[in-house]
Amino acid sequence: MSTPVHELPERDRPWIIRTYAGHSSAKASNELYRSNLEKGQTGLSIAFDLPTQCGYDSDDPIARPEVGKVGVPINSLDDFHVLFDGIPLEKMNTSMTINGTAMWLLALYVALARERGEDESKLQGTTQNDLIKEYLARGTYIFPPEASMRLIAEMYEYCLEAIPKWNASNICSYHLQEAGATPVQELAFALANAISLLDLIKARGHFTDEQFERAVGRISFFVNAGIRFIEEMSKMRAFGELWDSYTSERFGVTQEKYRRFRYGVQVNSLGLTEAQPENNAWRIILEALGVTLSRNARCRALQLPAWNEAMSLPRPWDQQWALRLQQILAYETDLLEYPDLFDGSPVVESKVNALIEEATDEIETILGMGGVIPAIESGYMKTALVRSMSERMSRINAGEQIVVGLNKWTEGLPSPLTAGDDGGIFRVDEKAAEAIIASLEHIRETRDSARADAALAALKQAARDGSNLMEPSIECALARVTTGEWAGALREVFGEYRPATGIEGQQLGLSGDRVELLRQRIDALATKQGHRPRLVVGKPGLDGHSNGAEVIAVSARHVGFDVVYSGIRLSPDEIVQSAVEEGADVIGASVLSGSHLDLAKQILDGLREQGADEDIAVVFGGIIPPSDARELESMGIKKVFTPADYELMDVMESIVEVLEAR
Amino acid sequence: MTVVERARELNKHAVSQLVSVFEDTRPDAADRRAQVLAQLGPAKATVIGVTGTPGAGKSSLVARIVPALLADSALSVAVLAVDPASHVSGGALLGDRTRTRFATGEKRSFFRSQSNAAELGGLAPTTFQVTRLLKRLFDIVIVETVGIGQSELDIRYLADHVYLVLQPLGGDEIQFLKAGIIEIPDSFILNKCDDPAAGQSYYQLRSSLSLARPFDEELPPIHRTSARTGEGIDELASALLKVGPRHSDDERERYFFSRWVEDEWGNTGRRYLAASPDALKAGFDAAQGQFEAGILAWLGKAER
Repeated sequence: MSTPVHELPERDRPWIIRTYAGHSSAKASNELYRSNLEKGQTGLSIAFDLPTQCGYDSDDPIARPEVGKVGVPINSLDDFHVLFDGIPLEKMNTSMTINGTAMWLLALYVALARERGEDESKLQGTTQNDLIKEYLARGTYIFPPEASMRLIAEMYEYCLEAIPKWNASNICSYHLQEAGATPVQELAFALANAISLLDLIKARGHFTDEQFERAVGRISFFVNAGIRFIEEMSKMRAFGELWDSYTSERFGVTQEKYRRFRYGVQVNSLGLTEAQPENNAWRIILEALGVTLSRNARCRALQLPAWNEAMSLPRPWDQQWALRLQQILAYETDLLEYPDLFDGSPVVESKVNALIEEATDEIETILGMGGVIPAIESGYMKTALVRSMSERMSRINAGEQIVVGLNKWTEGLPSPLTAGDDGGIFRVDEKAAEAIIASLEHIRETRDSARADAALAALKQAARDGSNLMEPSIECALARVTTGEWAGALREVFGEYRPATGIEGQQLGLSGDRVELLRQRIDALATKQGHRPRLVVGKPGLDGHSNGAEVIAVSARHVGFDVVYSGIRLSPDEIVQSAVEEGADVIGASVLSGSHLDLAKQILDGLREQGADEDIAVVFGGIIPPSDARELESMGIKKVFTPADYELMDVMESIVEVLEAR
Repeated sequence: MTVVERARELNKHAVSQLVSVFEDTRPDAADRRAQVLAQLGPAKATVIGVTGTPGAGKSSLVARIVPALLADSALSVAVLAVDPASHVSGGALLGDRTRTRFATGEKRSFFRSQSNAAELGGLAPTTFQVTRLLKRLFDIVIVETVGIGQSELDIRYLADHVYLVLQPLGGDEIQFLKAGIIEIPDSFILNKCDDPAAGQSYYQLRSSLSLARPFDEELPPIHRTSARTGEGIDELASALLKVGPRHSDDERERYFFSRWVEDEWGNTGRRYLAASPDALKAGFDAAQGQFEAGILAWLGKAER
């Protein structure tokens, strides 16, 4: 008797269940990982703090306020020993969200295996290592595109034989959706990115044809899933089909298993709201369905955000709640008992084909420009994303796109979830940073400095002569070179990248009576003060999510401010100096990393030192919990904006009010 | 210490406060400017103009030149960078600062952005005023223009030496030739010379210059630089230090006063039109004929 069509021979194994985690210190994160694994999590997803991601030591002045805030700080191999204490590397699947310093973190991981006597060829996991989306959306790049692409290619070349189960990079469409990408843009930009990378690897000529085919099989993706979960499910199927045809037609990959679209997912955070935050739990469930329902397009690994992500970093309980959701979906429901549910559905097939067709056009456009690097340098991709984001915001502002609790059904009872002593938010232990800096100093004093110097010299030499940098990096790791030293050495050789800001050409569709009225008020201020009001917009600290600051800069100009946009990765001193030299009336600082209290204090102190605190008002925007907002205001910050203030004209009006009140 | 005394010591906040006085558009600010100038005494600085189309790399170049000049610990440098304003809102995005990041706390450098307030010229309406101040505080004042190409004549009167920044094969030469802009600069800078096309561009520029500037006895200097690699920057900096004064302050003031009259009376004319909805009723030609009598009559009334 043959098996009925609705049955699988045996129930599928679930995807890898993860939560994106890490904070404060290697020790605290190790405890968190061990407890998550005990709770049934099946892989690790490591969040690094911004100094580690941007290649600075914890005691660097620009790093200091960010240490341990959005992830774990890693300064040297000693920190990795602590981070993975009691966790067997050979058995673990470890995903690292690391880009600009990806090679360094992989080198540390390999060095750790060597020192612990584990078999490095058995290591499994992923370094995110997608610099294209860093230039476009996420901002933790360090080097110029050419050098970045070289580092990625060298990691593929190293891993293929030495660590065959390691995904040297993870092509990300996740961050593109967070930056506003439509499903078609997500498909097209991510695939164009992967194709350009393979073109480069092929052109470098380090692989035989057989090795190249296996290298294609190592390409993996990191995808987003939004609330329109039918479309998202179709998008995943379209990804699979498109990847299969490009790998077979463009790269001639013959073995089916090397053409498979392998992907992990973090579901959408952009659509999570600070208003009525409990609703986010339902959004997350629906988003998880989009990437699990269709067996033929099911993710390999899944991580879910916490319900309160628009308010703060998640607490351990919030992470546990997100983990339980995955476990219920995988183990309680019958989801994993069936073959693909959508094969043969004319509706799904038609939707998938429409996505494929549009995405193919866009992919060919980008490849026609010479690939993703020219499309980044010309601003083509950034402009497209910015336009999509503006359109999304206009739809929400106009009420055409309903967001429950935000622009519809906004009256609600207070949430008991945010009523606890901690207000439903997480706080990093401030003392942890001091201990980390002390141990960093200890390493610099006790290591064999001749060996460390020699390792750094060899690294720079290899960077100059074009040989593979993995082994020199592993030697640096073993020699207790620090993260800042490794990145600093390569900065010397490769230089540092500063991209176009992306603020040119933004269309926000802002018009109407409110804009006119604001312009009149600003003109009146200009006449009264003898100059047009000046706003300095900047992002202090290392977080590179620049979209919010850019949208504010463009809106402010649109209503008549003179706006000095000073870019990202600024120290508080640089912002203060900009504002003082420019004769600013107000500073608008945007901080999404959770370091707002430290940074605000440093900016206000800086202004006071220069004697400019009376002349220059300061407003803050970012992911700022209400209790912190009150603290910022008591420090002297004039206004605090959070994701709840999505209506740009409200923000502009508040800033004008601050100036009128002076 | 007074603001002027602190500004003399290059205290950033004091310098900035004085710059704001020189940018102030309120009528009574003129008296304060005169007082400040009297206290500061005669000007000492050389004014350098840097112009060129957007994208030619003016800001990145300035970002390189300033540290090269500051290597001489006796020198101080101020930069005034002008960006275009929106004709719709009047607001501006002043982005040059992103590309020109100087060390924090260095008193010997000062950077200020200005909006051209939607005027056609490459300068802000107050650029002349602010250079009058900065010339008395710093040794070198660098003015970076909008560089759109129209009415860039102002910079020639403002600066002792004007550099035009070009990029290889930008095709700018032809545009500048047409617009007559190529007659303005005293020297040329071919930037991005690490580009493979730079060699060819250099010879093209030389040949088009001899055509476009028949008045030159010899070819004006062409500097080849790369803001990316730093090539040619030190040579440019030392050439820049040899620049001597071009116009006397009297000549400058006469020119910019006439520019001010032009702007101011143009604006008065517009106010008259706004107050006289019938001025164009009889048609364009008739309106031109009646204009002088009309505005004089209106001014007489406006005075009363």
